[in-house]
Amino acid sequence: MDFEALAACLTTAACVVTQTTSGLIVGMLLFLVAAGVTLIFGVLKVVNFAHGTFYMLGGYVAYSTLNVTGSYTVAVLAGALAMAAFGVVFERALISRVYGSNVLMQLLICYAVVLIFDDLVKIVWGPEFHAMGMPPAFQVPPLFIAGGVVPPFYAVLIAIAALIAIVLGLGLSRTRLGKTVRAAAINPQMVSALGVNTTLLFAIVFAIGGGLAGLAGALAAPVRSLSPGMGFSILIESFIVTVIGGMGSIAGALVSALLIGMVRGFGTIGFPKFTDGLIYIVMIAILLTRPQGLFGRRQ
Amino acid sequence: MRLEIRRLTKAFGGVHAIEDVSLDFASGSLSAVIGPNGAGKTTFFNLISGAFPADSGQVLLDGEDVTSLGKIARLRRGIGRAFQVASCFPTMTVEENLVAAVTAHVGQWGNPGRRLPPAGVRERAHEVMELAGLTKVAGVEAAILSHGDQKLLDIALALALEPRVLLLDEPTAGMGPDERWRMIERVRGLWERQKLTLVFIEHDMDIVFQVASSIRVLCYGRVLAEGTPDEIRSNQAVIDAYLGTEGHDTPAEGAPSEATP
Amino acid sequence: MSGRPALRDALIALAALVVILAIPFFHRSPAFEDFVIRVSAMALFATSLNLLVGTTGMVSFGHGMFYGFGAYAFGLLMQMTDLSLPVAAVLAVAMTTIAALIVGAICVRLGSDYFAFVTLAFQMLFYSIIISWQSLTGGDQGLRGGIPRREIFGFELASQLHLYQFCAVVAVLGLLALRHVTESRFGRTLRMIRDNEHRAAFLGVVLWRARLGAFTLAGGFAGLGGVLAALFVSGAYPELADWPNSGQAIFAVMLGGIGSFLGPTLGAMILLALNDAVTRVTEYHGLVLGLVILISALGLRRGVLDYLRLIRSRRAPSGESR
Repeated sequence: MDFEALAACLTTAACVVTQTTSGLIVGMLLFLVAAGVTLIFGVLKVVNFAHGTFYMLGGYVAYSTLNVTGSYTVAVLAGALAMAAFGVVFERALISRVYGSNVLMQLLICYAVVLIFDDLVKIVWGPEFHAMGMPPAFQVPPLFIAGGVVPPFYAVLIAIAALIAIVLGLGLSRTRLGKTVRAAAINPQMVSALGVNTTLLFAIVFAIGGGLAGLAGALAAPVRSLSPGMGFSILIESFIVTVIGGMGSIAGALVSALLIGMVRGFGTIGFPKFTDGLIYIVMIAILLTRPQGLFGRRQ
Repeated sequence: MRLEIRRLTKAFGGVHAIEDVSLDFASGSLSAVIGPNGAGKTTFFNLISGAFPADSGQVLLDGEDVTSLGKIARLRRGIGRAFQVASCFPTMTVEENLVAAVTAHVGQWGNPGRRLPPAGVRERAHEVMELAGLTKVAGVEAAILSHGDQKLLDIALALALEPRVLLLDEPTAGMGPDERWRMIERVRGLWERQKLTLVFIEHDMDIVFQVASSIRVLCYGRVLAEGTPDEIRSNQAVIDAYLGTEGHDTPAEGAPSEATP
Repeated sequence: MSGRPALRDALIALAALVVILAIPFFHRSPAFEDFVIRVSAMALFATSLNLLVGTTGMVSFGHGMFYGFGAYAFGLLMQMTDLSLPVAAVLAVAMTTIAALIVGAICVRLGSDYFAFVTLAFQMLFYSIIISWQSLTGGDQGLRGGIPRREIFGFELASQLHLYQFCAVVAVLGLLALRHVTESRFGRTLRMIRDNEHRAAFLGVVLWRARLGAFTLAGGFAGLGGVLAALFVSGAYPELADWPNSGQAIFAVMLGGIGSFLGPTLGAMILLALNDAVTRVTEYHGLVLGLVILISALGLRRGVLDYLRLIRSRRAPSGESR
């Protein structure tokens, strides 16, 4: 633990900017993944342990698409759309069979999917790390904000993720579909009583969740390397985000994802070896004071 | 055991579920609580049994103030209850259910080296089973019992704790007319034999007027009326608010249903 | 139905123990002995988890913490003190039990979904501590330098045969003790909570106290499993306390059956045997394992032993199926 370094960083504008940027990147990517987890839990009451796999596959699909088309935009869209489709297939083929059964049965199914796809990725793309590389348009000198280094790609990434957060928020509060989804999260029986096609609704929710995770994986691919099993750590973190924010709450997911991002960003300065531990402590502390999460409803 | 309720009040998010309710149930009485859906009847039971604390007011047992006590302490003082939706242990047989209940009453920890239930527990369980008329289904898993037997088992579980005040939330809920009468006769028999102070919530007015010796009417969380069946039958406020012109059967659905915690 | 179920269980355990201990006198197979040693650790781990999952209805994702805790506590006690092995083992289990009591005291009042994740968070916190407290634990390299194999009662645990015998005895006694807990008055209380916590509370059961009791006991027995694991690997590794290890235990429990006492033990055997067999055939053992899980989970919809019991009770619908 190095409190001096942390204090030194917090008093230097440059360091604050750099760490905030990296915290925002982590936080926004985490939000995209966790939004799906919390949405799926809210509406379907299913804890999707395979969500990290969506993230991983989104990255790999984008990687291959880029190699074929050469376009980053196409690659990212391909990653997102492929995972939206994958989400629907996953829900229909597997998860729909275990609705209402033991949580552990759902966990088991997801665990199996994680194992299978980690190996399939090894078979298709090989066990080694892949780097997707920065898009050429962003291979320019970094921006300097208050003396802090901010790569332009990072800034764009944060902007895109923030834009999606806004679109998601507006979509949920303004559109008919969004309202149905939110109503379903609050009271599933009521929605099916109102004559909403829940089969379709569940598939759509999985498509949105899968698409967001795939998008996050594709967006992250240029800044993080791809490897089989990479879905796992983001899965755990997105669970933490979901639980801290309150299971089922999108706003909660955003706030807690940014919180975790910042803990990571500045934790690496003060507690380089114990950043993970710090996050677990934050989670435990929040849940002990607010067992339903920051934005969760008390039952 | 005499049960006194003094100025009991409970609000959920600003809505008064129970407001300033004062009622007195004499020792050994058999009383019905009636009222339209959403009148606060189940909440009233929850407050008496200590499922959640009241905002203000008092609950007294034989003059002793138990308001500050939790549900377990109130159980120990003799308040037992059964639920609107039969509540028992589905994977256990009827006998196991009752042995578990009696054991829980005697003490859950006891001697960890002992596998069999403590002495007297099985006898007591059989006694309760006999009392509730469940002996013939002793070996049947609760999950596959008939609806009526599940309701009886729920009541038997409460009886296992040797209550002196017994609260029954709609003992005849979900039953056909014949079954209702059989059920209520059994409940009456229990009341007579066990010298209980019995309070039950009921929607079937025929049953209420024929069985209960006194009736309390709740409406929007307040006491609308109380008295003997004859007094209630002729009470204008009750007729207007609840019984209607026909004065029979369950009032229309639509009022917000009461939540059990 | 025997009038003395405790005696019957003890006799079954004794018979099983005699068979296991007799095998090496007829046929020595290092692979088989290794397998039994690993199963003994895993069976204690999985069965203790099932005290929570199957008996009490509490889903913990962080049970691996106590397995790892037991292993590290035992390894460190053996390396840093001159205590004899049984004393160190008992102390390690006691320490694990206290750790479980503390974590449980914090977690058991939470709702079920949050309970699962907070237990996981505690496990991951423990894992992070192991990784970052290098001077004590050896960090990600694990506790190296081996565990001093001090002789006990003429046993030399460096010998595989003696380790085999030791593990078999400990595991069978541990399982017997867990069986006793499950069937005791306390176990009955736990099943009431699993079936209907609301009703249990209205029969005078103090929910948090019973749950904390179950969590503490389960943690202690997982710690005992960890002690055996530490003996087998002759050290302790962070992987023992890592997430996938909890996943393995959950898988063993689900595979064998949460409704049968021996289900998790059977699950542990199947899982380890499957792992061994698949690893020999292909490097993609996750793929095969995943497919097996999918087929068994979607096909049987319950653990193997639970499935067999269901079949049996369908064949004999007279009710007396236990």
